[in-house]
Amino acid sequence: MERDNTDLSTRRRTIHKALFALLAAPTALLGVFLVLPMLGLFRSSFYEGSGPMGSGWTLAQYAKFASDSYYIQVLMDTIGFGLAATLISLVIGFPVGYALARMPPEKRRWRLLVVIMPLTLSLVVVVFGWLVILGRTGLFNTLLVGLGLLESPQRLLFSRGAVLLVLVQQFLPFMILSIMSVVTQISPDLEQASANLRANRFRTFRRVVLPLAIPGILAGSTLVFILTVSAFITPRLIGGSRIQMIGSLIFEQVLTVLNWPFAAALSFMLLALTLGITALANAVFAVRMSSRTI
Amino acid sequence: MRVDPIDWTLHALGAIVRPAVYVMLCLPPVLVVVSSLTAGDSLRFPPEGFSLRWYIEAVNSEPFMRSLWISTRLAALATLCSLVLGLCAAAAMDRYEFAGKRAFRALTLSPLIIPMVVLGLGLLQFLSRIGWSQSFVSLLIGHLLITLPYVVRTLTASFALFDRTLEQAAMNLRASPLIVLRRVTLPLIAPSLVSAAVFAFVTSFGNITLSVFLGTANQTTLPVQIFTYVEHSYSPVLAAVSTIVIAVTLAVMIIVEKLTGMEKVT
Repeated sequence: MERDNTDLSTRRRTIHKALFALLAAPTALLGVFLVLPMLGLFRSSFYEGSGPMGSGWTLAQYAKFASDSYYIQVLMDTIGFGLAATLISLVIGFPVGYALARMPPEKRRWRLLVVIMPLTLSLVVVVFGWLVILGRTGLFNTLLVGLGLLESPQRLLFSRGAVLLVLVQQFLPFMILSIMSVVTQISPDLEQASANLRANRFRTFRRVVLPLAIPGILAGSTLVFILTVSAFITPRLIGGSRIQMIGSLIFEQVLTVLNWPFAAALSFMLLALTLGITALANAVFAVRMSSRTI
Repeated sequence: MRVDPIDWTLHALGAIVRPAVYVMLCLPPVLVVVSSLTAGDSLRFPPEGFSLRWYIEAVNSEPFMRSLWISTRLAALATLCSLVLGLCAAAAMDRYEFAGKRAFRALTLSPLIIPMVVLGLGLLQFLSRIGWSQSFVSLLIGHLLITLPYVVRTLTASFALFDRTLEQAAMNLRASPLIVLRRVTLPLIAPSLVSAAVFAFVTSFGNITLSVFLGTANQTTLPVQIFTYVEHSYSPVLAAVSTIVIAVTLAVMIIVEKLTGMEKVT
């Protein structure tokens, strides 16, 4: 077999050409249709006016947000939903994630499918399902009236509780998967050793499992929080016009009110919130990593 | 043997919470399917009678069927394109070292962390300016952006496990790069290509949060069509259409389960 006589610089050029060919299309797509629109969005949050297109430079859009207590309230509500949903999904998701991690693969398979399935179904289908469950003639009302716990069907929808319930169900799989992923890495031997030293399950959980599970808890919580504060289909369909979150506010401003500059300002505040939480979580993680003395 | 009461309490709590969670997770889709089979005129529980009339109405409904076709076409196209682009990106990141590799990787995965409302508005504005909004292309671009991260993530994991020596052996036997690609590389990463394709398809088919901002009254996807109807009406035909969505999604999911197993997903 003859030896390839190309010299180093030619080979390097061939590699460069191959690399360029591979990177060109994805970079072009992302650069033109992701980076540019985001930059444009940022720029448009400084536009004057309240129509789809605009011009100029002003902080009026941000000022509009800050000066109206309604908008501030919506932001506070959104963060409230985020925190509540994160906490609830952590409390009910941890047992499930833990159990899944400790289960043998055959038992795990179908349960995992149940956990992942809602993520793959279209959100509008799942939310519509909740409309059927929570509606006046729906499952809950019929059950509660039938059991005699209620005299007549109550309005369960269009309330904070309903929105929170659906938000939790929507993002719970993410928490469960995060917990499952981290608990899988905690050796059961550690828990058995703890039991061997006569600690009950709660003590074992508190002193052994919980500290080791913190990375997964952090990751899951961050994810659920960010997804919850970004939500808009759920508050819109389940909450109606009574319950507004930042996401549904943006949606309204874009497609109904057509005040794109204001919507852009709102979007960037939402983005700042999500990126801020991500940065916070990363910082906490980094601090933990650096303080490890292993 | 003395059993600690705390242990017993935790065990009992777990036995209540865990099944409740599983029920909560699958209750909505189950109820949608059950409600779609009602013979009555409205969505009530329990459903009145059993009938397929709403499916007949759904299939006869022009807006729903047209948007179903658009959704399917869109998902197929978006999957195909993001597979190609994702393969290029994953291959580049796996086989080469280059300046800005980390930034590139972050860029390919970034659509996952940007809230979809923000992405939707940004794209809508940008595409309006260049005159491309209100069209199938705008939907395609949006769906490409949100499916690409899943494809890249799946393929980079697969490439990391890839045995390069098999390719080298082929080249050693004087196979041209194209032959190596066709006979060695692609067959070896085929399972993960299928997995990535399924993620992409399911993500695109079911997407609503981004799709409401793109497309128009004529060019809308099925989820968006359902959303528009749900805001104004509450008819069992919506349950039937939603069941169709569930059926398509489940069918595609079962393929993944059979071919690669759910373990790979996590």
